[in-house]
Amino acid sequence: MIRRCCALLASGLLLTTSLAAQRPAGDPSKRVPPGAGFRVFIVPDMEGMGSTVDIREVIAGNEGEAYRTRTSEDYWERFRGLLTQEVNATIGGARSAGAGSFAVSEGHGGNLFANIEPWDLDTGAVLIRGYPKPLLMVSGLDSSFNTLMFTGAHANAGSKGVMPHNFAFDSFTVNGTVLNEVGINALIAGEMGVSVSLVAGDDVLIEEAKQILGARGFVPVVTKLAVGRNAAITWSPAKVQAMLRAGAAEAVRREQAGEFKPYTLAKPYRIEFKLRRTFADSIVTQVAAFDRFKLEKIGERTFRLVTDSAREMGYLLDAVEGVVLR
Amino acid sequence: MSRRLLVPGILGALLAASTGSAQQGQPAQQPPRDTTPPRDSTPPSAVYGVTEWREARAKLEGVTDASGFTVYVIGDMEGLASAVRNATEMKPVHRGGSRDHERFRQELTDEINAVIAGARAAGATQFIVNDGHGGTLFRNTLPEKLDPEAILVRGYPKPIVMSTGLNPKVDAIFILGAHANAGTQGVISHSFAFDSFTVNGTVLNESGIAAFIGGEMNVPLALASGDDVLAEETRRMLGPIETVVTKIAFSRSAAATIPPAKVHAELRAAAARAVRRVRAGELKPLKIKAPYRVRFCMRRSFDAWTSAQVAKLQGVTRDGGEGCFAYTSRSAEQVGNLLNEVEWIVLKP
Repeated sequence: MIRRCCALLASGLLLTTSLAAQRPAGDPSKRVPPGAGFRVFIVPDMEGMGSTVDIREVIAGNEGEAYRTRTSEDYWERFRGLLTQEVNATIGGARSAGAGSFAVSEGHGGNLFANIEPWDLDTGAVLIRGYPKPLLMVSGLDSSFNTLMFTGAHANAGSKGVMPHNFAFDSFTVNGTVLNEVGINALIAGEMGVSVSLVAGDDVLIEEAKQILGARGFVPVVTKLAVGRNAAITWSPAKVQAMLRAGAAEAVRREQAGEFKPYTLAKPYRIEFKLRRTFADSIVTQVAAFDRFKLEKIGERTFRLVTDSAREMGYLLDAVEGVVLR
Repeated sequence: MSRRLLVPGILGALLAASTGSAQQGQPAQQPPRDTTPPRDSTPPSAVYGVTEWREARAKLEGVTDASGFTVYVIGDMEGLASAVRNATEMKPVHRGGSRDHERFRQELTDEINAVIAGARAAGATQFIVNDGHGGTLFRNTLPEKLDPEAILVRGYPKPIVMSTGLNPKVDAIFILGAHANAGTQGVISHSFAFDSFTVNGTVLNESGIAAFIGGEMNVPLALASGDDVLAEETRRMLGPIETVVTKIAFSRSAAATIPPAKVHAELRAAAARAVRRVRAGELKPLKIKAPYRVRFCMRRSFDAWTSAQVAKLQGVTRDGGEGCFAYTSRSAEQVGNLLNEVEWIVLKP
């Protein structure tokens, strides 16, 4: 149950109805206001942040019927405060290394992508919050940004990480390469020429990210060591924030030195994904009926899309999620 | 909790039967369908975090500092200063408790911080806190209020739940907020899911079980705090360790309570003494001779289904009556793992 619910989290699955499944959610033509200097784009999720281990700590309970009983307000409230502090630490570290402007795109579906406390967020950051929004986790990212940072990221579906999941999928590969949420978003960013410089999450997520982006392809921050799907060895919020501050500063310096490369895969992308085995068959049928995407059904609940556009892949993700909670 | 689900099933069957007799002349009714949701009988090993004690130990050992003095603090709640009532103070609203639980989360964190401060003053250098109370599924300690130098193990399921990751680099175990054994007149007395638990005939309460697992690694349990019943029975099991009495039990849900501030001061002092006494070699690890012949009886309130699940666990045999079992191992951690598997059967979230 918990895993099923968690699977819906970082993605757009938390919407209720009326999302036009075959259109991108939100207006993709809108841009984040321009900013001066070195531009940092931050995607904070919650499952991989310091201290969190349980769905009740990352869900507000208002995300739809399935989530009503899966929250504990006192817990979520506490952790949205810590989330805000983590983002502030990341911004502070990046700024200390010379970064000039910041955009933060809520990457976590709790409270429908409105977890950060705006009044407590660093005043230098533009915050992209709410739902629906185009390209979900990387909504607002464009080629004017110099680097992309993930905080609170979680390990892939089926892994031994804390609250592991991957959008609506049991598996997701591009050209045979297994991608978790960080990998999928890194590919979309990579096509825009934006590289990943920082990834923070549990030890399992960090190992996955090294597999995808290369061991020296980003600055890793291990926020906790997973010892169960809902249990971890954790450091204090103060320590995690200090690690993020130091990590973000190093990330900016190394990005400026040209050490990180945008994540790319050969085109055309051969995308294969398997919908969660826990989903009803009707969801598979609806995905199979998409006409905006040229999907090929290659297994009971496995599909293939061949495309030259990672952005298109992002829209497909949004559309799949639009169906799941229908 | 899931036991209650049986009742609607039985009621449903009765209703269906009476409806059937009222509808004479109708074709014979199908036997009433059992609408009871099936109880989850997936084995504990199917869920990551129940049985992976070797992995958890390797991960924690990797960040345990062997050069200084490391204290492993188990934080339970029933034995905290002022706590007396399970229904309200020991669990949060979403698990049937009340807002009072929030205040006791703070008290738990304060008591842990007190022993950390005391141990640090006596030269301890590293602190690992394992959240040991199931009321919130082991998420009671307030992460942002805890001493920022401490490592906190939290969440559920986690391997060997109250001794997760315990390893030989640890120098001393403290247990706070501990409660007296099942069957005693201590405040909220119990022992995991058991009415009784013995190893080679020695009765062990939860503190004793932690001491047994630590003892095999040569790590002594040096401090226990809780009510007078807990303190007395733990000293009987482990010898003259440091104990702090937080309250005098008047019943399982009433006590003469010592003011929290006074308890914190006593915890600080006792923690400092405990570190000094371990360093002086005065406090010895609990040693029980292997092989360990474990006998345990499940809490009487658990039903036959629960016993049947326990009976399926590897190496467990029925012994000594309904709900009672025997298990033999040469590894205390393996015994801890068994206990965790049993805990998972009854505590599945």
